Amino acid sequence: MPDTNPYRPVKTEVLDVITETPTIKTLRLKPEEAISFRTGQFIELTVPGAGEAPFTPSSRPSQKEVLEVTVMRVGKVTEKIHQLKKGDTVGLRGPFGNGYPLDDFKGKEILVVGGGCGFAPLRSLMYSLFEIRSEFKNLLFRGGCKNPQEFLYRDEIFDWTKKKDLDIELTVDKGDPTWKGKVGLVTVIIEGADMDYKKGIAIVCGPPIMMKFATKKLLEMGFLDANLYLSMEKNMSCGIGKCGHCRIGTHYACKDGPVFRYDQIKDCHEIWD
Amino acid sequence: MAYISDGSFRRLLDILQDGYEVYLPVKKGEQRFYRRYDGSFDDVVIGEVRAFEPLKAFFTRAREVVAQDFKPGVPHAQDRPLAIIGVKACDLKGFKVQDHVFADPDLQDPLYIKNRKENLIISADCTCAIDTCFCLALGITPFPAQDYDINLSTVRGGFLVEAASEKGRALLAKHKTLFEEAKREQEGDRDRLRAKVKARVEENIKREKVPSQDLFEGIIERSFESPMWDQEAKACVECGACTLICPTCHCFLLYDQKDEARMARLRAWDSCMFKDYARVAGGANPRPKLWMRLRNRFDKKFNFFPQVAGVYACTGCGRCISACPAKIDIRKVLKRLVENA
Repeated sequence: MPDTNPYRPVKTEVLDVITETPTIKTLRLKPEEAISFRTGQFIELTVPGAGEAPFTPSSRPSQKEVLEVTVMRVGKVTEKIHQLKKGDTVGLRGPFGNGYPLDDFKGKEILVVGGGCGFAPLRSLMYSLFEIRSEFKNLLFRGGCKNPQEFLYRDEIFDWTKKKDLDIELTVDKGDPTWKGKVGLVTVIIEGADMDYKKGIAIVCGPPIMMKFATKKLLEMGFLDANLYLSMEKNMSCGIGKCGHCRIGTHYACKDGPVFRYDQIKDCHEIWD
Repeated sequence: MAYISDGSFRRLLDILQDGYEVYLPVKKGEQRFYRRYDGSFDDVVIGEVRAFEPLKAFFTRAREVVAQDFKPGVPHAQDRPLAIIGVKACDLKGFKVQDHVFADPDLQDPLYIKNRKENLIISADCTCAIDTCFCLALGITPFPAQDYDINLSTVRGGFLVEAASEKGRALLAKHKTLFEEAKREQEGDRDRLRAKVKARVEENIKREKVPSQDLFEGIIERSFESPMWDQEAKACVECGACTLICPTCHCFLLYDQKDEARMARLRAWDSCMFKDYARVAGGANPRPKLWMRLRNRFDKKFNFFPQVAGVYACTGCGRCISACPAKIDIRKVLKRLVENA
């Protein structure tokens, strides 16, 4: 039965809580009514009584019954989310927004650039891309984190390095004795990516400052504005373009995004803040 | 055109009470407020000028429950639809913006849609103007031209009546014994009063040198980096009154309340002037400074809405001018913006 109330959350069971890093947890969630999403779309997660916050699922969209969100503890609601235990009840609304236009990527070379917590939506994207890998000419992944401690999905992403059909490089801003990979900013490992920049697609997701510098670098390398896909972190609340909070120029991140092509937003003010 | 006498009009209000909760404007001191009709008529002012509260208050409440527990369906605050009497032309223009937001066919807001469908709007001509009125600059006349069910024009002994919707026409047809055919001289009286009020608003515009909306194109972009925003925002105390009282402003905050038994999701009017309005939990805030938020308020009204909805989100009602404790005056800001061209 389609619900006519867009503000009502669907009752959802917390199946499992996985501690990813000291500040990040992943929740496995089973909504009473199945929520089917396209990769890159987001949901609003309600902690009853505490409020809700927007997250892009980090799980594969083809897995319909259960979805996963990966949450960094930063604010009031995420603090409560981190206190959740297996068996607790939460609410879910959505999905909202546009998601990644996978069909537009077909036949092309794709560079995915992630930073920190941006790995969460990108894991879902990568799962989707892996499923239809043969439809892309080339797939590259460049990921960076502050330090090895905060490297999200570390084991899983290191497993990706064994994939023959993925060109992957990882880095941390500051290494430690456990880290065997590169050290330096993600913008450094983007450089020299083996692909045709003029024709390729680049997808960027990460903290605002990383997004800003990665975009700058990709443009310098020769990527076209219309081939750059950015996930904009704004204060999405209602999810349906009514409450006003997530406006970017003439767009709302919640209904017209959260994924934008750079040419759609480059003339808008305040995009990186 | 139809005419209704004061006596028959009161009978109409009594009849309307069977199907509606009737609200009408009353005067307290120098201000007009909506009051629920209870049969008494002593303080009622159908004409005059817009009420203190914006019309939007009857369509999205200042605070209302939008969901309860995980129950499907839409909670509604009111059992019966509202008949809102004496609505002025400036407030009706607010619908152009509110409808664009809440009645977007792709993403409808069920609470608003229900109110919009069921509520009855009986508007009225302004019979005077106050100093803050500048509707003509926004292309609105101080007498309704559209977006009402029935409009009333005050004449001696009663009102001239016009219907502009199916709902309005059906109502007139159903109660046709209450109405008479209007006389030609009554129409002449109405036109003279309309001209007089219009002239009064024109005087305001001339005195304050308020630019016409014909000059608004590109004013925000041209002055985006201007030092004027910081200057205009100097005295702002971030109270949010300008946005809460505005008939076009629509932003709201969703929040949850929970006690032992139940959980409720509420929405309350919000203001883009508040510091945390656009802040994200990660800490980033696109508009940390008050002057940036003032600029954003104007950007939304005079840049965003004309692009997405083909309308400037200002009605010239002047409420934000009266409400501002810092005396920030939208007419002066518009004048500066146009002069910066």
